[in-house]
Amino acid sequence: MMYILLIKQFFRSKTVLLAFGILLTLGVLSISTGKQFLSQKQKAVTKTIEQQKKHLKTQTELHKDDLGLLMYYLKFSFVNPVQPLAGISIGQSDLNSHIQNVSILNLEGQKYDTDLVNPMRLQVGNLDLSFLIIFLFPLVIIALNFNVLSEELEKGTWKMITIQGKSSFRFLLMKLSIRVFFVCIVLGVLFLLAKLILSIPLNLNFLHIIGISYLYIFFWFAICFFVILLRNSSNTNAIVLLASWLLLVVFLPVVVNNYITNKYSVEEAFTMTIKQRDEYHKKWDTDKQETMQKFYNHYPQFAKYTLKEKGFSWLWYYAMQQMGDDESKEEREAMYNKIRSREELSEKIAQFFPPLQVQLSMNDIANTSLTHQVKFLDATTKFHEDLRLQFYPKIFENEHTNTINWKKYKPEFFVSENNFSFIKKTFLMILITLILVFAGVFKNLKYFK
Amino acid sequence: MKKHVIILITKQFFKKTFSNKGLLALLTVFIAVLAYVTIDSWQAFEAHHDVVEDHQDSSRKSWEDSPDKHPHRMAHFGTFAFRLQHPLSIFDSGIESYTGNSVFLEAHKQNTANFSEASLSTGLVRFGDLNIAMLLQLILPLIIFFIGYSAITFEKENGTLKIIYIQGATIKEVLLGKSLGLFLVSSLFFLPALLSLWSISFLENHNLNINTAVVVRSLLITISYFLFFMILCCLTVIVSAKSENSNKALLSLLGVWLLFFIIIPKTAQVVGNYIHPNLSKIEFRAAIEAEVSKRGDSHNPNDPYFNSLKDSILKANNVTDVKELPFNYSGFLMSRGEKQSAVIYNEQHKKLIDSYKKQNSITNGLVFLNPYLAIKNLSMSLSGVDFDTYVNFLLQTENYRYRQSQYMNDLQMKFISNKAKSSEGKVHVVKKEHWKALPKFNYEYISISKTIQNQMLAIITLSIWLFFALIIMTKFSNRFKII
Repeated sequence: MMYILLIKQFFRSKTVLLAFGILLTLGVLSISTGKQFLSQKQKAVTKTIEQQKKHLKTQTELHKDDLGLLMYYLKFSFVNPVQPLAGISIGQSDLNSHIQNVSILNLEGQKYDTDLVNPMRLQVGNLDLSFLIIFLFPLVIIALNFNVLSEELEKGTWKMITIQGKSSFRFLLMKLSIRVFFVCIVLGVLFLLAKLILSIPLNLNFLHIIGISYLYIFFWFAICFFVILLRNSSNTNAIVLLASWLLLVVFLPVVVNNYITNKYSVEEAFTMTIKQRDEYHKKWDTDKQETMQKFYNHYPQFAKYTLKEKGFSWLWYYAMQQMGDDESKEEREAMYNKIRSREELSEKIAQFFPPLQVQLSMNDIANTSLTHQVKFLDATTKFHEDLRLQFYPKIFENEHTNTINWKKYKPEFFVSENNFSFIKKTFLMILITLILVFAGVFKNLKYFK
Repeated sequence: MKKHVIILITKQFFKKTFSNKGLLALLTVFIAVLAYVTIDSWQAFEAHHDVVEDHQDSSRKSWEDSPDKHPHRMAHFGTFAFRLQHPLSIFDSGIESYTGNSVFLEAHKQNTANFSEASLSTGLVRFGDLNIAMLLQLILPLIIFFIGYSAITFEKENGTLKIIYIQGATIKEVLLGKSLGLFLVSSLFFLPALLSLWSISFLENHNLNINTAVVVRSLLITISYFLFFMILCCLTVIVSAKSENSNKALLSLLGVWLLFFIIIPKTAQVVGNYIHPNLSKIEFRAAIEAEVSKRGDSHNPNDPYFNSLKDSILKANNVTDVKELPFNYSGFLMSRGEKQSAVIYNEQHKKLIDSYKKQNSITNGLVFLNPYLAIKNLSMSLSGVDFDTYVNFLLQTENYRYRQSQYMNDLQMKFISNKAKSSEGKVHVVKKEHWKALPKFNYEYISISKTIQNQMLAIITLSIWLFFALIIMTKFSNRFKII
């Protein structure tokens, strides 16, 4: 009975309707953003499959007499399939290319080509469900809770409640539980919509995303609970809560990222890209045998193919190309080390700040993180190496192009496993939430019996 | 309107605000953060600048050190263009993190600009960039709202507004006085930020010939932010005067912040992309390939266009075989092919940029309704970190790429024997002096007049908003209730 009255009172407020209205509208918009993102990526994949077939057909006809020349032109696609969950947390997957299109030439000159995306869009960021959860849900929670107690204190109704004899703490909990309940319902509705619209399979990954989102929401309720039990005026509460929001969701993440970026600046990317060019091109003017020796050292199995005395040969050409990759290895490793340092430091800092932790975890689960992109790049290297190992002997043997079954070369897909550890990633957030709740209760023991 | 009354109210607001110790603490924190951000961004800029120059030099050095070679080898050796940041990017980094930093420029292949900062960063980068402009555009408005929300409601709640009125001050004087007072308080926050801006523009003179332009840019940025904060102060006071009580005033202002500063900008860009999707890279490349094979592909030995070209060249020179031509035929063929494919690429690239522009058009259209978007665009453009500046960089790299390729094709036509079969070895080469003779890639920032032209709407918007805010306060002052 009491609950029904409280619920009625809750929905009488314009703020409540407005807040839920905004959440649902933006929720639908964010899910459609995700949907559009997924279908654009899917379209590109379909196009890639089609394009590779066409490309193989035209090129094998044009250069049918010279396999070495043909392989100079032929490109093979390697696709990082985008999961439906990426529609919830787009992460870094909009600014990294999800399709690699590589020939067996020097890989490092091809691997980092970017996709075509409007930089303005990237800067403004995505309005995906993860943004809504991390950014806007806390604000709604603050708007619904900041005056739950102070309003009654200010209007003088709190005294009436306390003299009625029933536990005033229980009354406060009832009021709060209604808010928790309805916010959870809204979030649940959004997840349900996301599941249906983005056709997300109901698996552990999806449950992890849902779980971490709810924990995050509870974290914000705990902050509100703690602040309102400090028994300040509504205005003070509003300002304190908003300041914490501003600090946790807007300011700190930006400072952290800035710190990490400047601490580990990845200038090795430039060094590496120059080096891979120079090392290949230099070989046109240096001793051929020296190049070949390096090539044989890398691939002892090809040592049986020797260079003829004079003139151009594909063996030498591909050995030169190989040197671009081989001799920029040091710089490349330095670059990846920097990237790894960035990842590690981000993770380390993020565990103490739930908004950061939730964003990184969601990206992690949805395979839209930097880590995943690096894995994809590594897999591209492997894909490329496989192609080289298949085609090098054929080129060196001077095989005819029609001995190869070109039809079997279809775009390949990157398969990755995800070892997201839910407990490890959420442990500190749960702990902070509990501490806030206990601190709130503890400070108010004298008021509540 | 009595000037001294306005000044009196201004002073009163100023003093009253500072009677609150919290404000002093807030100011101290803000200035400390500002100092940190300035120094940090400045160092990062210097470091990036050095990295770019070092790499540009080392890449050029290996270009110039290349031995005598066949020109086509050099055409593929290519050039790296590393993007230099504008000095004012210390103040506002705009889209800097999201734009590619290095482009490889080689013959008959247009490469993408790679290694943007964001592509090498973790997901945290999407929370935004830390720079002075971010403090001024997102954080300071909130501070202004916090300081000013009770400017009028407080007087109302205490009943002092009535007293001020009875003593002969009109409502418009109160509103103007409070706005001015709030503006003075906020100037304590933003003037130090503008000081950072000016120290950047005076001290950061790596490149002397852009210096006057930087000063002009800084001047315009200063004016824009003055206008922006005046608008915000007036709006805060108007909202405070319109609200029943402080609580509602605060909530309305926070709602305004959320809507105008976060939701509208984000939604506008998302909707823009939704309505005008652009081609993916694979579609873009396919479109170019289709066009090339339609108009003539110089790499295809059976291409009808280039075969008929060959026939007419043979005829004009009265020979029967390309080997008898007075110039290197494959150099000629590549030069024609380069021209053809560059035209096609530029057409498609222009289409792509146009579709980006369409995506941005929703945001740009909303500039008129949203002063935040106006200041954001203005600040970005004037700091040389906006979309137009980036597109301009891409065009400059493509121009250089084209010039470099044609330079090599010309060398090949002039100096390489028509009987040369391959580009290998020391037989068919040109002297290395020719490499040095090709000028370096020299990136020029977009001109200030072009920037002003692009951002005219934003400049007008800010003026109009201020004008309307003042009109509301002075002409419609009878709409505001005293009690």
